[in-house]
Amino acid sequence: MNRMRLIIPLVFMFSLQLMKSNAAEENESYDDRYCTTCHGADGRGNYGVQAPRLAGMEDWYLKRQLESYRAGLRGVHPRDIEGVAMQPMAAKLTDESIAEILDWVGSWEYKPSEVTIQGDAMAGREFYSVCATCHGAEGEGNQGFGAPALAGQNDWYLVTQLKNFLAGYRGNQPGDTYGQQMAIMAQTLANEDDIINVISYINTLGKGI
Amino acid sequence: MAGFVTRREFLNLVGAVGGTSAALRAGSALGLLPVTKTAKALDLFALGTNSKKVAILGGGLSGLTVAYELGKRGYECTILEASHRCGGRVFTVRNGDLIDEIGNRHYCEFDDDPHMYFNGGAARIPSFHNNLLAYCKELDVELEVFVGENNNAYFQDDAFLGGKPVRIKDYKTNVRGFLAEMLAKSMSEQEMNEPFTELEAENLLSIIHSFGDLRGGGEYTGSSRSGYKTGGYTTHGVQKDIIEFRDLLKSRLGGRTMTASEGEQGPPLFQAKDGMDNIIAGFLRVVGQEVKYRAMVSAINVTNNGVEITYDQDGVRHSLNVDYCFSCIPTHLITGLDHNFPADYVKAMKYVRRGDAYKAAFQAKERFWEKEDIYGGITRMNNRSSSIWYPSGGIHKNKGVILAAYNFQGGLYHTNMTQEERIEGHIKDGEKVHSNYRSLVEKPVTIAWHRMNHMLGCAARWNRSFSGWTAEEQLMFDTLQKPVNGRHYVIGDQITVHAAWMESAIQSAHWAMEDLDKRVRAELA
Repeated sequence: MNRMRLIIPLVFMFSLQLMKSNAAEENESYDDRYCTTCHGADGRGNYGVQAPRLAGMEDWYLKRQLESYRAGLRGVHPRDIEGVAMQPMAAKLTDESIAEILDWVGSWEYKPSEVTIQGDAMAGREFYSVCATCHGAEGEGNQGFGAPALAGQNDWYLVTQLKNFLAGYRGNQPGDTYGQQMAIMAQTLANEDDIINVISYINTLGKGI
Repeated sequence: MAGFVTRREFLNLVGAVGGTSAALRAGSALGLLPVTKTAKALDLFALGTNSKKVAILGGGLSGLTVAYELGKRGYECTILEASHRCGGRVFTVRNGDLIDEIGNRHYCEFDDDPHMYFNGGAARIPSFHNNLLAYCKELDVELEVFVGENNNAYFQDDAFLGGKPVRIKDYKTNVRGFLAEMLAKSMSEQEMNEPFTELEAENLLSIIHSFGDLRGGGEYTGSSRSGYKTGGYTTHGVQKDIIEFRDLLKSRLGGRTMTASEGEQGPPLFQAKDGMDNIIAGFLRVVGQEVKYRAMVSAINVTNNGVEITYDQDGVRHSLNVDYCFSCIPTHLITGLDHNFPADYVKAMKYVRRGDAYKAAFQAKERFWEKEDIYGGITRMNNRSSSIWYPSGGIHKNKGVILAAYNFQGGLYHTNMTQEERIEGHIKDGEKVHSNYRSLVEKPVTIAWHRMNHMLGCAARWNRSFSGWTAEEQLMFDTLQKPVNGRHYVIGDQITVHAAWMESAIQSAHWAMEDLDKRVRAELA
């Protein structure tokens, strides 16, 4: 019944928001299931709509990303197709609703993600030594550096994000300090092969369950 | 080819790409219209004292069709619908209805009146979509004519006549006149006479003359078909000025307008009276008790003798064990569920792209189009909003609902805007046709299918090339059409080669049920 406890405050909170802005339909109550429409069952990510997994990811990082989307620091470049879809969703969130969502996400069971890309992991390992400085030798992330865990994330999502950083679709907004740092670091990857290889190596790191 | 092209050069150009016979072959090979056949009653085995449980994932039209037909044969059906409503993309919005776009949730504020509705998804029924029409009859869903073609509606393009809107009849009549004149002139040439008998040539000339309303000498000098400038009843009509051929060729909208009312978009078309979702209501009158709303599937596990479904409803996780499962959940959302599907099945689901169709509508404070002799039909614009649809029903009432924009493809342009930006765009586009548009419209709704909760897409796109399906695409389609273990079927217009039509959703359901029927008959024989 843990889930029920989380949903009820959200229903109430969003209902209040609706009363302010809309003539709410009597028969329709709000629910909090927007996350799983895109991010898949129990937030484990969905390749079909290119939405990353949330389950098992660090709450401090998810919080920062929701806040970045809300503030227009992420998901504003027109070529960041999935980011642009996420941004208006986050724009509606209050601090309280972000906290509730993080609680909800924390209740989801982590299951290892499927490996979908095949590159040269040994070549990627060399590149990864640069990444490890911030993201940790095991890809476990480092909150002190503001660097999220990479191990355990959907590999296709990591590919898209590295491409976006490289192309300037992400990490290009003034005020997105961490994103700008990452955009600079992504320049150490020369091409798509490098990206595939480094993420193939990250796939070998796994993630404790 | 910069500079001028004479008519002769133009005809030579036509000849260079294959001429008439090539054009004829192209026309018949387009294959845009599927073969029509009379709807037949499904010959499905009735279970009698046998018991079979069926889970239907998604209360879209295909899912409801399965529930309806299998229910008749004694199957015990449960429909799990993730949202608050059935119908999927058969979606009519009226006063108070929720438009559950992720990030842009809004409510319809149209006046509460039966004719004040908007079909945000399916909106047209061709007269040869037999299975759909048969269900409308069987389920007592009242139909009315949908006016799609209206030559009094407008044609507007900034590149044409300084952006001044003209009536579609003005555009079409002039284009036909000039095209016919070119053909008629070329008919007198010796080489064109060769392939025809005298009678054939005579008839062809007659067709060309009447196609373009030509004068005796094969000249196009204008036509009363587009109406008169003045008079015509108690005084003699004064012919309108011709629009110069070169001006007609300034617009890229020409081809689309000349063919807009052909094939499946040609008359006669129908719609369900007072909203297309009355078709859904018709099914729900029979199977409504079987629907669980806000029941969101999280896992599908196919076993040797059934399917185990896991779903969340009211904050509680439930399980449902059935003999068979029919899923009209969009493939791009199935990929996000826990499942044990075979790799090639998943590969096919991951391949299908989701459509991004977009529609918008306004309530009009008055029926201003009727004052311009427009009753139903579609204005064509060469701008981002693309079309204005005038309602077929509610004639001469005080208000009406008009479609303000429709992008069947390229809908992400509007989807990526804020609600305010979308609306402003549609008003600016509409003002080019109806100068007082801004003051005449209110209470907008926008339907961005790419972001609609629990759907996240419009019509599925299987082929990535305009030239057709690759062998690999066909293989993936065939894989996904077949059931997993004979237990799990993907249904919906997404698993047809003709997505975006209600008839397709129904035929996919029929295909799946006929496949199931063979298995059930074999098992119970």
